[in-house]
Amino acid sequence: MSNTASLRPQPVASEHTPLKARNVAFDWADTPLHWIPGDPSSTHTINVLHLLLPAGERWFVHVYKQVLPAIRDPRLRADVIGFIGQEAMHSQAHDDVLPHLRAQGLDPTPYTAQVDWLFEKLLGDRTLPPGRAREWWLKERVAMIAAIEHYTAFLGDWVLNARALDARGADPTMLDLLRWHGAEEVEHRSVAFDLFLHLDGDYRRRVRTWATAFTALVFLWQRGVRFFMANDPTPAAGKAAVRDFLRGGRQGVLPTTGAMLRSIPQYLSRRYHPSQHGSTEQALAYLDRSPAARAAAAASGGA
Amino acid sequence: MPARLPVTRPAGRGRVPSGPFPAGLPRLGAVLAAAGTALAVRRALRRRIRRSPLWPLPALEQPVSGRGRGAGGPAGRRLRVARRTVVAEGVVALRLEGGRLPAWEPGAHLDLVLPSGAVRPYSLCGEPADAVRADGGSYTVAVRLIEDGRGGSREVHEALREGTAVEVRGPRNHFPLVDHPAYLFVAGGIGITPILPMVRRAEAAGVPWRLLYAGRSRASMPFLAEVAELAGGAGGGRLTVVAEDEDGRPDLAGALAGVPAHAAVYCCGPQPLMDAVAALLPDGPEGPALHTERFAPGAGGTDSAAEPFEVELRRSGRTVTVPAGTSVLRALRDQALPDLPYSCEQGFCGTCRQRVLAGDVDHRDELLTGAERADSLLICVSRAKPGTCGLALDL
Repeated sequence: MSNTASLRPQPVASEHTPLKARNVAFDWADTPLHWIPGDPSSTHTINVLHLLLPAGERWFVHVYKQVLPAIRDPRLRADVIGFIGQEAMHSQAHDDVLPHLRAQGLDPTPYTAQVDWLFEKLLGDRTLPPGRAREWWLKERVAMIAAIEHYTAFLGDWVLNARALDARGADPTMLDLLRWHGAEEVEHRSVAFDLFLHLDGDYRRRVRTWATAFTALVFLWQRGVRFFMANDPTPAAGKAAVRDFLRGGRQGVLPTTGAMLRSIPQYLSRRYHPSQHGSTEQALAYLDRSPAARAAAAASGGA
Repeated sequence: MPARLPVTRPAGRGRVPSGPFPAGLPRLGAVLAAAGTALAVRRALRRRIRRSPLWPLPALEQPVSGRGRGAGGPAGRRLRVARRTVVAEGVVALRLEGGRLPAWEPGAHLDLVLPSGAVRPYSLCGEPADAVRADGGSYTVAVRLIEDGRGGSREVHEALREGTAVEVRGPRNHFPLVDHPAYLFVAGGIGITPILPMVRRAEAAGVPWRLLYAGRSRASMPFLAEVAELAGGAGGGRLTVVAEDEDGRPDLAGALAGVPAHAAVYCCGPQPLMDAVAALLPDGPEGPALHTERFAPGAGGTDSAAEPFEVELRRSGRTVTVPAGTSVLRALRDQALPDLPYSCEQGFCGTCRQRVLAGDVDHRDELLTGAERADSLLICVSRAKPGTCGLALDL
């Protein structure tokens, strides 16, 4: 057993921080459609977040509300409660971008209606007999959330460090949304995985749900980019292409393919723990200077 | 000899080239058929995908995402205080300018998110047309300083100077002007703010109207000149101004006596004024319809957090008493349901939303839209309205 002990996930204690939701608000009136100037392809690749996250993070909250009674560890319980509020705010904040896209001639409803179906129906509550079947479906979804959170933390860490976005003159409001969200994802990156370990932690389930989540993310993402590019009202937008994605990675306005491939063995390692990647300190430092998070802190402190 | 069998099999296969036609034709046919089917499927798929690039995932019939919380919800926008005018003793009018602003109808109010984070509703009292101007819309609100209030009006008076940015939500309308053949408007003091656009609308539409405008003193009553002009001077008989320091109490009974049964009464002002109007109107459908809006919630000293009330949990069949100063959420978690989900405890994340089955809710959240408030509440901040008999929840 001594050799398996070393293969257990090892959290980094110093990366833990108490979680609380921040009541942010963003004003989209001045954000252009192509908010990375002159780069519709990279803009829309990141915009896919606004298609997936409203329904996706609502689903996280829905699932976690059901898990809450099963959590026996008080600290994890407090973390999950903070996580739920943060995810609810992420979902609302991205949802508020969608009417703005529609106002600019890019109606996202055909796509988001499908994402809504995916999370509300396909991954929603099923009429299962109480007991093992229902428990299995809940554990499966908790594990899927842990896998997805691996990628949200990866993207959060990326966007906090993506200096190229500033250099290219990306819209400050959109950057603040992405970095506020990214920083909170980094801040709470261990919660979903800790909850998965607390309830179950089965390695085969981790691999299986990772494969499902990864495949679904790739499928939904390429489809989202193609949808945006095909429906972009600007004639110069062109069509979605893999080479544009690779170029975005080289220029630093998108994550690189190499970094994304390297994140796969990270999650599949038996010793993986989210606290080993990314920096809570950097995330908290951004939240201290994020315009939206500062306004929220001022409002809740002064009320 | 079983060991030789593997050797004979290749020999058998080797016969195929020697007679290509009889054995190869069916195989070639199968390949051609498969290729043909694949091509047909590919063409059909491409045609289908061209029609809608999102085929073949099913979609939710009533999409949830991206409906926007704009008009009914808290999606705020930042406006600039373009002009600040003192329009009467203790009353300032603020013109708030922004880009494209949502249109509004008489009776609508705007939620101002003050620099301290407090959210206060104020009726829109300008011209609805000003909001939707192409060169930049504006809203106008008028705010009376309430000395012993909760501090919102003081903050408006002191912190919102010309050039200040302020976040607003809405507009929302809980006091809409419904079409009627005639109107009687009754305004008390700052309660003139939602009534003024209604009078303008009625005048523009040519609907007969009368206005009873009461206040403490003429100097403290805003928009007197505006309403006098709309009424075409005091001689027209359409406007009755009653200043308490000169004329005493308004003659409500007299004003209401002349109202035809098909007319509507719109009343906004202090609670006693609205109670008096309601008491003077006949009950039942035969009399004039009464529409009221209470302004300055809590100004009368009734803060609903100060009162305990009971919450009935219909599904679990229990009743919990919520003490004064304790949230419904805390009381339920402590006394009945320890696993109730929640997170922010400040009324913005929406995790603790529950369905209301009965009771009058004093909504104190910043999240739910008007329609959502009809049947749900956030139990971390909202309470039963003071003086009502509590709430029944679907728990």
